[in-house]
Amino acid sequence: MVDWLTMTIQVASLAMAGWCLVSTFRDQPMVVPHLVGMGLLWLLVLGQVGAVIVTVADGDRPAETAMFVSYLATVALLPPACAVWGFMERSRWGPAVIAFACLVLPVLFVRLEQLWNPVV
Amino acid sequence: MSETAASTDRTLRTGPGRLLVAVYGLFALAATARGGYQLATKFGEAPLAYTLSLLAGVVYLVAAVGLARAGRTSRVVALVSCGVELVGVLVVGATSMVLPGVFPDDTVWSNFGGGYLFVPLVLPVVGLWWILRVHRMERGRPDTP
Repeated sequence: MVDWLTMTIQVASLAMAGWCLVSTFRDQPMVVPHLVGMGLLWLLVLGQVGAVIVTVADGDRPAETAMFVSYLATVALLPPACAVWGFMERSRWGPAVIAFACLVLPVLFVRLEQLWNPVV
Repeated sequence: MSETAASTDRTLRTGPGRLLVAVYGLFALAATARGGYQLATKFGEAPLAYTLSLLAGVVYLVAAVGLARAGRTSRVVALVSCGVELVGVLVVGATSMVLPGVFPDDTVWSNFGGGYLFVPLVLPVVGLWWILRVHRMERGRPDTP
């Protein structure tokens, strides 16, 4: 896994969560900029997923491969799934869904890093 | 009649319900994947704990679908599954504290969901509150709009 990319994703995700929480408390629905932000975040995540696939194809795979792959699939699908689900809601609860997803994403990446590089 | 049914369909999954479905969906995935994986790879170590994780995942899934579909029947389904969750997290949480030997490995509900920031403890309470609130809102509305 590319370490700086993981860091960037985590910081961007938390920033996105903060922005969406502000929108929620200001009683604003999801707007197009939110969607663009989620799109950029998704691109970063897909970049990391791509980098991991290349490394694994070279033969360097984590010990618990099945667990790792299921986490990888979750991080790849979480941003678009939550963006669509949140955008369907035309109230303050749309950004709330995104904020939740963006708070969970960094945690998932911590788990991914742990599985990738287990500390004995 | 169809109009009332349509508005019912909307209420349970809109507003706070939208967030609830998202949280339930993720927990369904997390618990089912965890339980399924552990059952498949190391069933012998703690069969009860792993089966329970899988069961918790299925209950979350039923609750998520019940909330998302939000018809009259699925509201009852969501209500029952939230109730099962609340009982589950309380019983398993208390058991894991008093008799740690029963669960050699952690489940989603161990220590009242402490491993998941106590979300499993809060979630069914919020779920029940939301379902009952929607139910009451509807009672308060006149039958013919």
